[in-house]
Amino acid sequence: MRIRSVYFSILFLMISNRAFASEAMLESMQKDLGSLKETVASLQSIVESQSEVLRKQSLKIATLENGRVSTGVAAPPAGAPKMAGVQGFNPEIGVTGTVQVKSTQSSADEEGNDTIALKELELNFAQVVDPYSRLDAILSFNDNIERQNVDIEEAYYTRWGLPLGFTGQIGKFRSKIGKENLLHLHRLDTTDYPLVIRDFFGEEGLAASGARLQNTIPNPMDIPIEITGEILRGNNGPSFSGISRRPIFNTHLKTYFELSKDANLELGWTTLFGDENPPIVDGAGNNVTRSGGQDRYGVKVFGGDATFNWFLPEGKKLKWQNEIYFQNRSNLVHVNDDPWGFYSLVDYKFSPKFSAGIRFDYLEPLDVVGQHRRSTAVSPYITLWQSEFADFKLQYSHTESASGNAKSDNMIFLQADFIIGVDKHPVQ
Amino acid sequence: MKTKNIFLSLLCFLILSHAPSARADKKIKIVTTTSTFASIAKEIAGDKVEIYFIASPKRDIHFISPTPKDVMKLKSADVFIHAGLDLEAWRGPLLDVVGRTELMWPSGEKQIDASKGITLLEIPTSLSRAEGDIHLYGNPHYWMDPANGKIVAHNIAEGLARLYPEDGDFFQKNDEAFGKKIDEKMKEWERIASPHKDEPIVTYHKNWSYFAERFGFVVVGQLEPKPGIPPTPKHMAELIHLMKEKGVKVILKESYQESRTPAKIAKETGAKVLLLAQSVEETKEASDYISMIDYNIRELTRE
Repeated sequence: MRIRSVYFSILFLMISNRAFASEAMLESMQKDLGSLKETVASLQSIVESQSEVLRKQSLKIATLENGRVSTGVAAPPAGAPKMAGVQGFNPEIGVTGTVQVKSTQSSADEEGNDTIALKELELNFAQVVDPYSRLDAILSFNDNIERQNVDIEEAYYTRWGLPLGFTGQIGKFRSKIGKENLLHLHRLDTTDYPLVIRDFFGEEGLAASGARLQNTIPNPMDIPIEITGEILRGNNGPSFSGISRRPIFNTHLKTYFELSKDANLELGWTTLFGDENPPIVDGAGNNVTRSGGQDRYGVKVFGGDATFNWFLPEGKKLKWQNEIYFQNRSNLVHVNDDPWGFYSLVDYKFSPKFSAGIRFDYLEPLDVVGQHRRSTAVSPYITLWQSEFADFKLQYSHTESASGNAKSDNMIFLQADFIIGVDKHPVQ
Repeated sequence: MKTKNIFLSLLCFLILSHAPSARADKKIKIVTTTSTFASIAKEIAGDKVEIYFIASPKRDIHFISPTPKDVMKLKSADVFIHAGLDLEAWRGPLLDVVGRTELMWPSGEKQIDASKGITLLEIPTSLSRAEGDIHLYGNPHYWMDPANGKIVAHNIAEGLARLYPEDGDFFQKNDEAFGKKIDEKMKEWERIASPHKDEPIVTYHKNWSYFAERFGFVVVGQLEPKPGIPPTPKHMAELIHLMKEKGVKVILKESYQESRTPAKIAKETGAKVLLLAQSVEETKEASDYISMIDYNIRELTRE
């Protein structure tokens, strides 16, 4: 009994101890819980305040999105289609326009005299054809008084990576003759082509169907030497007027020297061989061309070009460009056996908005012989560059004509050029 | 006979000049569009390369007329490094003449697009020339932020390592070293620029956005009314008013921009005109990429 009492006493003590310990633990746990509750409440408040910051930032970004977007992703891949679907494969398109006002002393009522005219509207298409080639096409719309027409100004296929590093082109293109012949009207410094270009190759220079090969010749002196060979369809331009089946052969050689960090000189040489018309007999049985047999490749044109560029501080630039051409002809159509001519042009870009220059022309034309056989012209001009895509030119030209009975002429041109879309021009 | 001999000699010369030669005894020929990329490429490739850059640092990168020398250099280049995007509008026509498809953007295997992975600013939300000569993909003057300079370096290192895996470790090591140099300088530049945080500035063209963003300057306007459009009297009057209102003390211009208009505005507002460098070698102090940023920061924060 006594032992039992002792046992119960011990058991009671143990139980009561445990109970006491559990109460203390409960109290501590309650305290912990309270502290946890406080922590959660504080965290909740932090989350809420951060959410507010995020909301404000989102609003700020949305507000700024029109002016400045940082995408946080890489730039879109180059050449990536900008439009969904097959439209992404559409060619690059551009339109260039030239409107010209011309006032002249000449009394002839002919195209361009004392008129305003849309001289030219060019529609350009260009796109890479496949990994080896591209196609460029330029259609030209004219608003002449009697003959509104559409011409294929240029349309050529370029194939890169031919053997030995050659690049080939086939189609219709502006022939690689000197400097100005390569340029479209709106890219000229002046409002017209030089007299010698107009008289020898046509009002807007020589563009013909054909094939062209071009390369740069590496050399130990590290001097750039570029060679171009062309075979063009005959019957093109005043100098080669006549036989389509006899092609015109053109070669152009170009080299370049850096005179200093800011000045360079480009020199070129052009040689053209071709044919002209056979003698033509009029209704009365008279030869309207000079007598004599027709020589194969009886027309040879030789030309030299020299361009000096001087880059001045603050974006200013001085250019002095010269081209000279002379012919060796066994004449059938034109009366002058050895016509020749040259021009010299100085252009000075003196501010972001303005450039000015002057061109001097000298020409002994294809069709004039006799004592007074030279034409000369002086054409000062000024250009206002409204932007990269629109410019306005004002030009005065004084011309002394080669024709004995023609008077000298004073002309004023006002020309506006504008471009929309793509206007990529080949590197000259 | 004489003509035939000349023709045959020319043909032999062309064949020999295009014959592949062993790489071990020659340097890698790199052509870059700008002097800045040339400077970074030099940091990455050291003496293993011979570098030629096309655009003179003193001319506007948008309006470069490539020369026959540029064509010749690209004809024989092993690698072509360019700004990607539409910064160099002349790049496409130049490559058309060169005629090497492996240098053409975007997929030519021997070209390196320096813009890869850059976060662009000022991406246009609509495309219209009414907004001036805007860029299709966003502001392309990204190298003016040194953090982007690191990305450009990485792109060059990665591209060179892809083309010349035998030197891959060398390029990677130099890339890391260049990155560390930039990181160290960045702390210094940010420290120098920090007292000028939120200072308003005016620039001639919109080509300081990345630089301003990095160093905390606020570009409040440009002399050009829209990108690429020459300043007009009306816009100048508005800009003078804005500069007075915002307390603008600095007008930034580059060496290829005319100084008459900035000087006129400076006279009206009491601001000073600073000639900073957008390209390596544009000023004599900007002899390499780090010196260029260094020069710009110091000039801009000079009291």
